[in-house]
Amino acid sequence: METVLLKNIDNPKSADIDEYLKAGGYRGLSKAVTLEPADIIEEVSKSGLKGRGGAGFPTAMKWRFAATDPKFPKYLICNADEGEPGTFKDRPILEKNPHLLLEGMAISAIALGSEQGYIYLRGEYPDARDILEASIRQANDRGYLGDDILGKGLTFNIHVHQGAGAYICGEETALIESIEGKRGQPRSKPPFPVNQGAWEMPTIVNNVETLANIPYIIEIGGDAYSGIGSEDCPGPKLFCVSGSVNRPGVYELPMGTSLREIIHDHAGGIKNGRTLKAVIPGGLSTPVLPAESIDCRMDFISMQGVGSMLGSGAVIVMDDSICMVSVTYRAMKFFEHESCGKCVPCREGTDWLRKVLERVENGKGREGDVDLLLYISGTMTGRTFCPLGDGAAGVVQAMIKHFRTEFEEHISEKKCTYKSIN
Amino acid sequence: MVQLTINGKKVSTKKGNTILEAALDNNIKIPHLCHDKRLMPYGGCRLCIVEIEGRKKPEASCATFATDGLSVWTDTPKVIKIRQTVLELILVHHPLDCPVCDKAGECDIQDLVYQYGSPRTRFVAEKNHALPDTRGPLVELTSSRCVLCGKCVRLCAEHQGKGALGLIGRGFPTVVQPAFGEALECDFCGQCIDVCPTGALMNKSLKFKARPWFLEEKDSICSFCGCGCTLTLGLTDGKIQRSRGMQDRGVNRGNLCGRGRFGFDYIYSENRLRSPMINKGGELVTVTWDEALNYISDRMKSIINAHGPSSIGAIGSPRCTNEENYCFQKFMRNVVGSNNIDSSASFGYGLVEKAWHMAFGLSGHRIDLKYPTGKEVILAIESDLTVTHPVFGLNILQAQREGSELIVADSRETKLTRHSTRWARIKQGTGVVFLNGIMRIMMDRGLIDNQIVLHMKDVSAFEETLKEYTPSKVSEITGLSRDELVTITETLVHAKTRMLTLSIGVSENSKGLDTVLAATNLIHLLGESPDALQIPAEYANTFGLYQMGVRPDAGPAYQWTGVEGKNIFEMLYEPYSLKALYIMGADPLVNFPDKSEIITTLKSLYLLIVQDIALTETAKFAHVILPASSWAEKEGTYTNAEGVSQMLPRLIEPAGQSLPDWKILKNLARTMGEDMAVHDTTDIVREIDSLRVKYYDSFPMTRIFNPVHYVPGEEPDTEYPVNMVLRDVLQHAGSMSTRSKTLNLISSEALLEINRTDADRFGISHNGYVKVISRRGTVYLKAAVSDSVPDGNVYVPTHFPHSAVSTLTHQSGKGRITTEAVRIETA
Ligand SMILES: Cc1cc2nc3c(=O)[nH]c(=O)nc-3n(C[C@H](O)[C@H](O)[C@H](O)COP(=O)(O)O)c2cc1C
Ligand code: SF4
Ligand code: SF4
Ligand code: SF4
Ligand code: FES
Repeated sequence: METVLLKNIDNPKSADIDEYLKAGGYRGLSKAVTLEPADIIEEVSKSGLKGRGGAGFPTAMKWRFAATDPKFPKYLICNADEGEPGTFKDRPILEKNPHLLLEGMAISAIALGSEQGYIYLRGEYPDARDILEASIRQANDRGYLGDDILGKGLTFNIHVHQGAGAYICGEETALIESIEGKRGQPRSKPPFPVNQGAWEMPTIVNNVETLANIPYIIEIGGDAYSGIGSEDCPGPKLFCVSGSVNRPGVYELPMGTSLREIIHDHAGGIKNGRTLKAVIPGGLSTPVLPAESIDCRMDFISMQGVGSMLGSGAVIVMDDSICMVSVTYRAMKFFEHESCGKCVPCREGTDWLRKVLERVENGKGREGDVDLLLYISGTMTGRTFCPLGDGAAGVVQAMIKHFRTEFEEHISEKKCTYKSIN
Repeated sequence: MVQLTINGKKVSTKKGNTILEAALDNNIKIPHLCHDKRLMPYGGCRLCIVEIEGRKKPEASCATFATDGLSVWTDTPKVIKIRQTVLELILVHHPLDCPVCDKAGECDIQDLVYQYGSPRTRFVAEKNHALPDTRGPLVELTSSRCVLCGKCVRLCAEHQGKGALGLIGRGFPTVVQPAFGEALECDFCGQCIDVCPTGALMNKSLKFKARPWFLEEKDSICSFCGCGCTLTLGLTDGKIQRSRGMQDRGVNRGNLCGRGRFGFDYIYSENRLRSPMINKGGELVTVTWDEALNYISDRMKSIINAHGPSSIGAIGSPRCTNEENYCFQKFMRNVVGSNNIDSSASFGYGLVEKAWHMAFGLSGHRIDLKYPTGKEVILAIESDLTVTHPVFGLNILQAQREGSELIVADSRETKLTRHSTRWARIKQGTGVVFLNGIMRIMMDRGLIDNQIVLHMKDVSAFEETLKEYTPSKVSEITGLSRDELVTITETLVHAKTRMLTLSIGVSENSKGLDTVLAATNLIHLLGESPDALQIPAEYANTFGLYQMGVRPDAGPAYQWTGVEGKNIFEMLYEPYSLKALYIMGADPLVNFPDKSEIITTLKSLYLLIVQDIALTETAKFAHVILPASSWAEKEGTYTNAEGVSQMLPRLIEPAGQSLPDWKILKNLARTMGEDMAVHDTTDIVREIDSLRVKYYDSFPMTRIFNPVHYVPGEEPDTEYPVNMVLRDVLQHAGSMSTRSKTLNLISSEALLEINRTDADRFGISHNGYVKVISRRGTVYLKAAVSDSVPDGNVYVPTHFPHSAVSTLTHQSGKGRITTEAVRIETA
């Protein structure tokens, strides 16, 4: 398959605008400036593109809400917070193919009628910041951004806003709060950002990868694009594979490629000749799958069918030497640390879960702790303010569902029989 | 309206309300911790969770909007289970130190656990035992008890417009704190204390004083500003221990400012007067009531015999009740036989009444505290209503948040300018020019309301007087650009609903009758109803005292008395114009301008009677001092700036031998051989009622232009190069509040606010002492170097007796602007 998102990636100067142009860059934008905004949205609608940030929301639908809102100004925000553990797919775009993102944003801005864009960049990506800012300057100089895009009198400027390391700021409403200079915690919805987002104006938040698909869609047309990959959620998809595999990395493959193919063919199979034990298929907050479930297609809909989620497409692979209690405990340390604290079930629940997991992992578990873990996570599911708390509870529930005996062994043996991954 | 079903019952609610609001409006209880109707939906605590038919998940009712046809269940077993588990989670780390928590007994957590709690504890976690943060004054924060509902933080930012508190940190270790973990320095409204559902934020002055269940709570009316807030006062053993606001109660709907919440303890101050005193040979000697009253009676009679009743004058009090002020003027008019009676209102509300009469032929200017709500444009002129009338100010801020365009014309940065949509930073004291400039633009561009204006006969003469206020001249004097003036004019003209507002009173000197008249002229040109001009009466009973006839030109109910008596200017600033002066509940030496002039007058008197609750500066010059009971020690009514008369119950025993003012007057009349025909307050009320006080709607309205020109105050020169402006501080109203120990913890002396440039120019440092010299006197004050004030101007409050700012000031006798030219030196 021809790569779209990682095109040119091996060229050491791929971030430079001239290299990008040489490889056909900014053709989508040149076409978009001749189109009506509604036609751009129509193409995206035909393409069937679904958001790559994790929730898989149809992009064109989101755009329409904002585009038809009469309020002005409108804001376009690129979510480059990339905080989901295991996820590093946006990074190559940001660092190696920044103009693809800028081009995608410019086209989206025309479609939405937005004149100001933001890239909300993960705090731990300092290089990306320099690269993006240099690229924005280049694009401005060449008239692909700025106050008179390609001489058509269109305005779109982009500002890079660097986060300060909070995972919750990847959630779109918390991200907006953060951009406004407020405490990063999610807002109540409705009103939705598409109508009342940043500074109470219509605001679109899209993931880096989502926006990076736009130039290609405009270039080849929505219909052609919809032929790639899975029928109900088409397009190329970045999968980032980590853990017990021989070739960890980012792979651009058609949506719907099977998990088995990703692990065994592309990532080179399990390391050190060991056997596969479990996979977290879409980033830390997606439910774990046992080894026998990897024949599923990696797309938003199929993954729901097997009781997990595509999430960010971050495949975390675990071999048979790895302790599931330890993984769960480590995950909960993360969620406790990252819970914003706004709602009681998540704030108190993650703390309590972490404490119970800690004692189980350290051989101090008590009889009934497994049920307690299920009880606590049950108090969270469906009751937290935002999906972070839900996700945290889901991690525990899936781990216990598939690996309950391992938890029980920890308690009865009063020790961990596996090597810790910490 | 939206129709929905809750627990099978059809209910309706306002569009835009949440399910929780719909339920509460219809008396259906849903527990909630993080909701407050003054705040935006939050959805943090998850206690208000309900089931909605057709939705997969239970939803937080406080963050879900009510829509047509919803069917909601608030008490299903599933929902109750969720609430129990949420409470269980909340309690995991809660210290459960109820035995030593002053909130216990009125704590939402206790109540909720009592209702839903399960005694089972599945998890024994180390309890949070963080020590209370006691650094700040007034408010103590015990973060171990905090459930992170965020209400305090949001109320402070969203509702009070202050933002002094923050949620610091993330997730589990989050704490409520001021920025950078410093001690709390804020407006000290204490609203966060009322809103906190637990014992995390507590009123420091109440600490370990009284268990809530022993507090007997009674409502009364605040004795400070003209808003007339309802205070819910908690008493034990005959002593007021605290004051709080109760949601929806009173004109303030549960909001209070710091004065109302913390300032009531002035009635317990050490210099309360407990017995009558007579100045014998230069020394104040305690005497019996008999001796004091006989002394006054004899002296009064001989003065009346020798010099006639018009040689006696009186000053009434906005801190005294209607009944007392009524008796006071009755005493003067019927017993003494003099119309020489006036009050501080002559510097403020009296001017508004005058302008009101001149412009509209009306009397009794009332405001509506809720008037700002929903107005398209609000224009505030050289005033910070959030300081003078805090609860009215809150309504202005709320209107702005809800979409009103708030234009503030002021030289100084204030809370109101910070929340304005447009701050027209005019030069100090140029409000009249600003208004005239707007009117000239309206005239020139034909933006006036012809239907109204063309019927006014003096319109062309009025237009003539505006001629000199060309945009360029106005721009030069006010410092606003021409474009800005035009934009403001257009915004005002094109709005469908508007409010013009300002404050005026003896504690300010930068506005005068002219300012009010200019505003009335603008009301005419806009074709607005007089209601659009909202100028609140300044103190608790200023409005009432005026209605009761404590004024030289009219008796109760605005009835003309035949002969106009001497006004405050003639009585206080024309030495030897009187032989005797009776002052009830006023301290002219502190609150009125030109202290030395007043002292000359006081010294010229044969008889000075001061009747007050505390030994005031003025009382020190008295021949006789009569101890009066405070606002909490007697029955009566106050009439707030809205014209609403509200009951004060008698809450506590009078201090010492003090008596209610009306009783003193009654006794004095009897000693003088006259009968006032009042035995108790009901008699007085009946008598007042029989005179049925008329409001302005019963007068025919006219419209008259009253052209005004720009007359600045005392202009700075080389010798006195700085313009001194009097401005109130938020923690005080008048001077009695300075006797509150609690308020003194946060504001105990007059600070001179000075711009950095000026401070450098005069070598003054922040918190350093400065010598302020005017043509009339010298005082020493502490400087507060501030970016909020423009250079060339300093701003000073008058409240504090020992700061003696009135030493510097003067009066014009005509209700004019009286800003002072002063010189400043380091001290
Ligand atoms: C806790 C949490 C963290 C998230 N972090 C990210 C993130 O780092 N990057 C991202 O693109 N979306 C993240 N999301 C999803 C966003 O809220 C949002 O759905 C997404 O940016 C929408 O973009 P898309 O429609 O292009 O997918 C997060 C969501 C949650 C609940
Ligand atoms: S679920 Fe967690 S992260 Fe989300 S609002 Fe609640 S506390 Fe914050
Ligand atoms: S201090 Fe009180 S009001 Fe503030 S967050 Fe904590 S519990 Fe809520
Ligand atoms: S001073 Fe005014 S605003 Fe404050 S509580 Fe008293 S009446 Fe209300
Ligand atoms: S009151 Fe609704 S979540 Fe707290």
